[in-house]
Amino acid sequence: MTELSSNTSASLASNVGEKRGYWSRVGRDGRKLGKWFVAPTVALLIFIVIFPLLMQLYLSFTWWTPLDGVPWYQAYESFNWGENYLILAYDPAFWAALWRTAMIMLVAVPAQFFLGLGLAYLFIDKFPGRKVFYSIVLTPMMVVPAVVGLMFFLLFQGTGPVNDSLGLPASFSWLTDPNRALISVIIADTWQWTPLMFLILLAGMLGVPSDQLLAARLLGGSNWQNFYKIILPRMKSVIAIAIVLRLVECFKIFDLIFIMTSGGPGVATETISLFLYKKTFADLDWAYVGAVGLAVLIVLSLIAAFGLSRVAKNKG
Amino acid sequence: MSSIQINNVTKRFGEFTAVSDLSIDIEDGEFVALLGPSGCGKTTTMNMIAGLEEATEGEILFNGQDLSHTPIQQRNIGFVFQNYAIFTHMTVYKNLSYGLEVNNVPKDQITSRVAAMAKRMNLTHCLDAPAASLSVNEMQKLAIGRSAIAEPRIFLLDEPLSNLDAGFRAYMRSELKVLQREFGQTMIYVTHDQIEAMSLADKIAIIDQGKLMQYGSPLEVYNNPCNRFVANFVGSPKINLLDGQIKGANGSTKLITQGGAEVALQGKISSDFAKLKSSKGGSIGIRPQDIYFGEKRASDDIQLHGYVEELERVGPKRLVHLQVHRTQIVAEDERDALSIGDEVEFFLTADKCMAFDLDSGDRLTGGAA
Ligand SMILES: Nc1ncnc2c1ncn2[C@@H]1O[C@H](COP(=O)(O)OP(=O)(O)O)[C@@H](O)[C@H]1O
Ligand SMILES: [Mg+2]
Repeated sequence: MTELSSNTSASLASNVGEKRGYWSRVGRDGRKLGKWFVAPTVALLIFIVIFPLLMQLYLSFTWWTPLDGVPWYQAYESFNWGENYLILAYDPAFWAALWRTAMIMLVAVPAQFFLGLGLAYLFIDKFPGRKVFYSIVLTPMMVVPAVVGLMFFLLFQGTGPVNDSLGLPASFSWLTDPNRALISVIIADTWQWTPLMFLILLAGMLGVPSDQLLAARLLGGSNWQNFYKIILPRMKSVIAIAIVLRLVECFKIFDLIFIMTSGGPGVATETISLFLYKKTFADLDWAYVGAVGLAVLIVLSLIAAFGLSRVAKNKG
Repeated sequence: MSSIQINNVTKRFGEFTAVSDLSIDIEDGEFVALLGPSGCGKTTTMNMIAGLEEATEGEILFNGQDLSHTPIQQRNIGFVFQNYAIFTHMTVYKNLSYGLEVNNVPKDQITSRVAAMAKRMNLTHCLDAPAASLSVNEMQKLAIGRSAIAEPRIFLLDEPLSNLDAGFRAYMRSELKVLQREFGQTMIYVTHDQIEAMSLADKIAIIDQGKLMQYGSPLEVYNNPCNRFVANFVGSPKINLLDGQIKGANGSTKLITQGGAEVALQGKISSDFAKLKSSKGGSIGIRPQDIYFGEKRASDDIQLHGYVEELERVGPKRLVHLQVHRTQIVAEDERDALSIGDEVEFFLTADKCMAFDLDSGDRLTGGAA
């Protein structure tokens, strides 16, 4: 009996040992083989991601435009040693557009953050009608941005509902006044994207263990103290993600403004995207657009890298 | 410090009644255990005392004062959660100081009180460590220390020991008793472990399905259970319960078990069953240590005949599992002279036999006799 059992356990052990060896060998060889299987996909991916960027980089070092009558790959004929970047550095229209974009980001994103945070806080406790309000609050996010643009275009007309309800005369113009046009755009963007902030922040807030909140309350912490010391610190990562996401999206804002003001009056609401649009289709200055696009890409990458490195740090 | 009166408290979640007409009086400085099986409403009761949950009916008074309109923050109640609810994003120090900081205690006082509590709880070595890095045992101590440091008027502990390993649990059990004496606070302690309740508490409230079964000192509850549930729930090894039909009357009563064993009853136990009204039958409760072998010691003691099915050693004691007509009875064997398969005569001490109504579970006492 004992002999038998020791035999079986020994053979079992050796079996397991063999198995482990077998699989690790397959693993080693398999990994080598696997590389060849995924290689085409990786190559395709690299091509899809990298090629347009390289093409853009290439064109941005030339004077090429589609009117030249030369195919794009022969653009080297008008190679200019990066003069586009020099022009860009001294282009007041570019810097003005960048500044306007920054203005929108710096006002709209914090506004959306605080509104979203406040709304999320209201939603962590149950109250009657919570589900209905939840759906209502999320609705703006679902609307096509161009439609939001149209809605606010109509709302902000001189004889529109906004002026009517505020008791302002029709001559009080929103979209045709340089300062108020930017504010209108920020309001529209905030209306549409606060829900996204709300959604992300609510998810983060609900992730805070409720018994820790109860414990904090029982220890005598006021709602504000507990919010500041328990909820917020635990939401750092989520907050960073939400803000980076919105900053990057805000930087790229286009459809809303295109419908509401087309960048006007004058260039009062011309953001980077509208600036690029004009350079592409009005001026056909594609090489220059390539230079601007790459510069913008670098700015965005820096924002994202900064924000997300903080997330990584919190994780660790 | 505070006395607590729970007066006819009921808690319903929709249709479901989690706690039903519960009344418990707790004196200042008392250590009370809420004991009951899982899901019987212990946590719900604690939550209502702490104010985390509102009673559907009834009132809870602290020193005669209703706090139901006082915000949780101002009630000054210490609560140790079942899973500790440590603030894992803070250091151990910050956890301990939280209750003091939010109450605007001066800085130098916070430092000294945290240091004292850390020393008391053996946490000094890890004060600056992130609380998430603590072991379960340390978290337990931190959870208690964090609540105790603010000197709450009462201290509530929800199954504080159930996540711990056996050795540390025994240590914490005695530690809690010492702490309670040091703090002098009223403590309410929730547990489903009757040994814990018996060894710690001044008084035990036994709850089943949201209803209070019995409230009394550990000895009272053990010696004088007021119903079959309490008798069955309290005590280790478990009490024997012989269920059956009660036949005959006036002096010559019999209990006939399902297996067909006939147990002749005399004296007090017989008259106890005179009160039995239900048709479902009755039940005799007898603890293993109240069963003996050898010579009959009192004339009313119940004599039974069975064979030894199993022997079990629990520490220095030996438990005998006896089979009497398909009914199992566990007895303590003082003589240590039996072996498996033996046929033996044994006796149930008449004074210690308890009579229960099998239908309602109520204890039957003091018939005509
Ligand atoms: N918020 C709630 N909603 C509905 N039912 C609940 C709620 N909280 C507890 N219960 C129910 O009440 C009963 C008692 O729960 P609880 O007090 O947690 O038991 P325990 O004695 O194990 O601590 C359980 O059956 C549980 O399912
Ligand atoms: Mg519980």
